[in-house]
Amino acid sequence: MKDILRLLRLFHPYRAWMAAGIALSVVVALSNVALLALSGWFIASMALSGLGNQMFNFFTPAAAIRGLAILRTIARYLERLVTHDATLRLLSALRVWFYGRLEPLAPAGLQSYRDGDLLSRIRADIDSLDNFYLRILAPVVSAAISTVALLAAMSFISMEVALINGLGLLLAGCALPLMAQRSGRRPGARLVTTRAALRASVTDSCRGAGELRVYGAVDRQGAHIDALGRALVADQRHLVRVRGSYSSLSMLAALISMWIAVIVIIPVIHAGVLAPAQLALVAFFVLSSFDVVASLPAAFQSLGETLAAARRIFEIADAEPVALDPDEQQPLPERFDIDMDALQMHYSPVAAWALDGISLHVPEGDALGIVGPSGSGKSSLLNVLLRFWDFQDGKAAIGGVPLRALTGEQVRSLCAVVAQQSHLFNATIRENLLLARPSASEEELREALRQAAVLDEVMAFPQGLDTYVGEVGARLSGGQARRITIARAFLKNAPILLLDEPTEGLDELSEQLVLNALKRLMRDKTTLVITHHPEVLTLVDRVVVLRAGRIVPSYVGAEELIAEGVCR
Amino acid sequence: MTPGSRQRPSRSAARQQESWLRSQIGLIRLPLSLAVGAGTFAGMLMIAQAWFLAHVVNAVTIEGQNLAGVWRWLVPLLGIILARVLISGFVDSAAFAAAARVKQGLRSALYAHVSALGPAWMLDQRSGEVANTLVDGVEEIEKYYANYLPQSVLAALLPFAILVAAFPADWVSGLIFLVTAPLIPIFMIIIGKGAEALNQRQWRRLSRMSAHFFDVIEGLTTLKLFNASRREAEVVARISDEYRGSTMSVLRVAFLSSLVLEFFATVSIALAAVYIGFRLYYRELDFFSGFFVLLLAPEFYRPLRDMGAQYHARMAAIASAESILRLLQTPLPDRHANRMPLPPEQRLRIDFEGVSFSYDRDGQGVQDISFTLSQAECVALVGPSGAGKSTIGNLLLGFLAPQSGSIRINGVDLQDLDEAEWLRRVSWVPQKPTLFYGTVGDNIRLGAPEASEQAVHAAAAQAQADGFIARLVLDYETMLGDSGQGLSGGEIRRIALARAFLKDADVVILDEATGALDRPTATRVMDAVRQVASRSAVLFITHDLEAARMADRVITIERGRIVARANPREPGLRKDLHAGPATFEEVGL
Repeated sequence: MKDILRLLRLFHPYRAWMAAGIALSVVVALSNVALLALSGWFIASMALSGLGNQMFNFFTPAAAIRGLAILRTIARYLERLVTHDATLRLLSALRVWFYGRLEPLAPAGLQSYRDGDLLSRIRADIDSLDNFYLRILAPVVSAAISTVALLAAMSFISMEVALINGLGLLLAGCALPLMAQRSGRRPGARLVTTRAALRASVTDSCRGAGELRVYGAVDRQGAHIDALGRALVADQRHLVRVRGSYSSLSMLAALISMWIAVIVIIPVIHAGVLAPAQLALVAFFVLSSFDVVASLPAAFQSLGETLAAARRIFEIADAEPVALDPDEQQPLPERFDIDMDALQMHYSPVAAWALDGISLHVPEGDALGIVGPSGSGKSSLLNVLLRFWDFQDGKAAIGGVPLRALTGEQVRSLCAVVAQQSHLFNATIRENLLLARPSASEEELREALRQAAVLDEVMAFPQGLDTYVGEVGARLSGGQARRITIARAFLKNAPILLLDEPTEGLDELSEQLVLNALKRLMRDKTTLVITHHPEVLTLVDRVVVLRAGRIVPSYVGAEELIAEGVCR
Repeated sequence: MTPGSRQRPSRSAARQQESWLRSQIGLIRLPLSLAVGAGTFAGMLMIAQAWFLAHVVNAVTIEGQNLAGVWRWLVPLLGIILARVLISGFVDSAAFAAAARVKQGLRSALYAHVSALGPAWMLDQRSGEVANTLVDGVEEIEKYYANYLPQSVLAALLPFAILVAAFPADWVSGLIFLVTAPLIPIFMIIIGKGAEALNQRQWRRLSRMSAHFFDVIEGLTTLKLFNASRREAEVVARISDEYRGSTMSVLRVAFLSSLVLEFFATVSIALAAVYIGFRLYYRELDFFSGFFVLLLAPEFYRPLRDMGAQYHARMAAIASAESILRLLQTPLPDRHANRMPLPPEQRLRIDFEGVSFSYDRDGQGVQDISFTLSQAECVALVGPSGAGKSTIGNLLLGFLAPQSGSIRINGVDLQDLDEAEWLRRVSWVPQKPTLFYGTVGDNIRLGAPEASEQAVHAAAAQAQADGFIARLVLDYETMLGDSGQGLSGGEIRRIALARAFLKDADVVILDEATGALDRPTATRVMDAVRQVASRSAVLFITHDLEAARMADRVITIERGRIVARANPREPGLRKDLHAGPATFEEVGL
């Protein structure tokens, strides 16, 4: 409930659009019921006056029937336009809001979610929040309003029928869908698990097709997949039955309501309290009123999913940024040596020290190699330097200016980073480069690519610099992508260079090209290189070994490092 | 609705796919007819319900009867309501049973075909895509049989049944129905085609916009490093706003189609009501008939409108059918008709005689490879990555066939041997081993499901895997998630090694067996390999020169050719093998 309120608050600026959409869908629902009920009453009255039993002014209702038909058609069109427009406005608001919350957190606040599936999780969650208004809020609110309006109208004719109708609507629109959702929850969850197991097994058998053959397990795996497929179908059948039986029950509620309403109203008519033509009206009214709640089962079905999505999104958005900027901004340093003294840092008060008393000095223009097994604190060192994470104790300074006196943006303007994870955006190569220097000229872009030893390959693409990177358009090889990130670092031309496994995942030829490019890039820059590739270490002046957040004090021989598994 | 990431199939291709989808109906005629039969029966009951209700209303309104006079209509009405509810609940189950049968058969057929296509074919595929076809692609088909097919038959049958009932009661309304009914599908087709194209384009645009947003989130760290992350917030806002603008201008037109539909359905009801009213007034019609027809009017248009909702199910199924058909129609590799058994000699001897093979996709491969490998020896293949070492392994496994030259096993061409019988004698650890969904123990037992617990433990110990397995929550009973989630690359490799050792094969092919292992572990693994090589023929593929030293012979491959053969025990080998800095000590640390 709290999450719903918060979502609604988020959508507050668009309340007028949302209300207009709901109002229109109420008009559609009511005009539909009115059309049928009025038609029933009209033909009954016409028949009676045809028999001479009553006098009847037929012009008004006949015109009203035609008017209602047109009203319903137009309102339906407008309703669809307005609700979709509102949905798109909300979608835009949601994205901007989420991005604004996420931006100060990255990457530190997201680290704990970095299970690879964070992104697909967020994606699915945002998608289901996109539909909150269209699939849940609008149908539920308009069904509630329409129901109240219909029952109020009916109570003028017959209180008893209004009660019966209300009871039926409550049952068909609310109670039964909720029950269906509840009894569908367990098979639904089982279905998700079965489907995941099936997908995993199928993926395994595709990837491991050779092994299955060699080990004579093709048929065994086939039987396994067959069994999982059967289990999936069994779960689905169960769900189809559950949903089918509840929707039959909803239908029963509608028809029985009508049946009882007719039985209740006949004696009233016979007693002369109501005109005979009212029976036709009541029968049509009750029958068609159930269209009002027809979209509720689907809404209830996605409600749980959407709330869970909202909870997860809010949880991410509510995290506190971990490295706060200073209140007063200091001028940028003028030298670019790096100093650390007894630096201590951990990711949470309960975690072990990720950096445990690091002291090091990198003179301006020097290059320092950092090696160590994974988890030894290499990346934490970069996180501290880039102000992605704060440290708890000790000192860190660039050019004599304490790190904490600088804002994150200031520090990052001094640093260029080439990392295995450096992201190339799904845009043109040009746009990816301009990120580093929005004002760069064509010549500067080419020069950066030339320095990174990738110019010829880029120019060989038919679209040259305007080639799309990533999913759409041409795909770059790993080595090309890495060299484009190096070109980006050339363009940024920052005094400090941080390299995080710059040759990881490259084949030998690309590795050599990247190494040459790095050599040029590192000229006159203060450089920190994290690596476990011996070739990269030929580029540095000095190497420190990290182990469990500390610098290994004495000289360490190569054999020992190899034995540690630090280096191959 | 699927975002239009898939290409819209061309019309003739789509027709072919749909006719294939229809050809499956033969298998499910019974459940499908049951579903349609039940749906039609439920429709008849609906007509009967209207008939009885009209009697009740007629009796009370026109004849002035009280409740007592209409029970004879009310009681059967209740029975009809109950029957209708029961029957309509049955339609979905029957339709699902039909779809389930198709899905199950299709999945088995796909698995069998993919298995028969073999590992070499799989190398050229994105395994994610194949898996998607087998899981999601098959699921997409469900709606075609469970919803679209029965609905489309009912959309023709039910209005027809209603017409048959309505005409004798009131031929004017029947005529209104008859004239407007075909207009709805015609307009649906006319507008549907345009709207569908618009819709697809819109979905593509939406998925592009989403892709941009998530691309930005994924690259947030990079954006921050360039202090560009705040700039990007405006871009996100601008793009989604532009998207809204373009979408709304499309929707304004696209929704016109539903406007027309609604108009016909609603206005026809209104027209029928007004006409019936006036004809009642002039006594050209009796009230019972008029009311009966009016009750039928909304039901007449309902199945036609429901059909519109099934359009997407059909499109999605056709798109899936395309990828399913593409898989099923991939021709199987040629096999020799008569396969020879392995000559019953004691020791296996493998001869590569001038073997060449090149991949048609990029021309890479191996040329003129000749060497011999016998039981009780270990031959190491070394060389840079991409030199063709793994190709030689795949050739020996029989996954690839030499384009010239031959591989002879005790003198018989491998191509002529019975594949299953040959592979029974072979163990293999590929470069990227696969762990299957199941326990650690199951994974080690892959080639020997009946192996005893002691044998499994012994193999694990041999592969240096016993240590970390013992630290897992349930040791050998630990379930492995998605492709060994939670295990490191080295641990996955050691489980695969244990699997290979447990099989106790005559030929053992190890591709980068020591990859991702630290030096001491790698050394112990090497000892185990030596031990295996005292009985079996071991082909040891590696780029780790240190590890290659324990082989009996070392063959260096570069760009698909053998460039050196050496005995590792001879001095001076190191230089021959490799030019670049091979180990840490040469870096000068």
